[in-house]
Amino acid sequence: MAEPIDCREAKARLDDYLKRELTAELAIEVRVHLERCRSCFDQSRFEESFLRMLELRAKQEVCPGPLRERILRALRREADQG
Amino acid sequence: MAEPSAAGRSFDDEALPHLDALYRVALRLTMDPSQAEDLVQDTMLKAYRSWRQYRPGTNAKGWLLTILRNTFINDYRRRKLEPIAMDLEAAEPHAITREMAKSDPEGAFFSQIVDEKVLEAIDALPTEFREVLVLSDMEGMSYADIAETLQVPVGTVKSRLFRARRQLQGVLYAHAVEMGYIRPRKG
Repeated sequence: MAEPIDCREAKARLDDYLKRELTAELAIEVRVHLERCRSCFDQSRFEESFLRMLELRAKQEVCPGPLRERILRALRREADQG
Repeated sequence: MAEPSAAGRSFDDEALPHLDALYRVALRLTMDPSQAEDLVQDTMLKAYRSWRQYRPGTNAKGWLLTILRNTFINDYRRRKLEPIAMDLEAAEPHAITREMAKSDPEGAFFSQIVDEKVLEAIDALPTEFREVLVLSDMEGMSYADIAETLQVPVGTVKSRLFRARRQLQGVLYAHAVEMGYIRPRKG
């Protein structure tokens, strides 16, 4: 395996790592670093909590039923006219 | 009802599953529930009329969100995009980040903040930051899909996202300290 990456490199890749946008190889290098480095591991957990919080908040909002019905009616009207 | 696309998949099958996402993004763009409803309906009608331009198998959600965003920019927004304030991070973001990480390494305080406060803080972000954060971290879109939807380079998506997150974290942290969810530990 290549030289282990340092904190600067790990932090630079952290956002992409958490978003799963790194290649498998680069992701492994970050994971190995996180297992060994307390400070980067903490930062990664912190970012994960933040992202999980946003994801959960997002799921709580859904398209209201009346709006869904209104849209379906409008689409049906459109289809009848077309 | 709707005509099938070239691949035979109907508008209903491809577009309707994304209504929730469209509504959420519309809410964050308009910051007004009744405008958001109109925006989603306008978007769906426009999408229906241009359904033949949709390439089957590509990203339907991104395609719909592009229409939604263009509709918002052309028909809903009265003011121009507010310029990106370059001194958003004047408070030295890394110092704040370090303080946050020291005070609460697990970021547990995030889950204590009530929904309204989180949404309020998101809505207070500049538009360019807000839309990238919403598409990435709330709707789970990839950098590439966001870049296509917003018509900006991937590098721009990444840098806006970075700044949006830091700014939002800073605001939520300050709120958590104020509410006593967390006790700051400096140094």
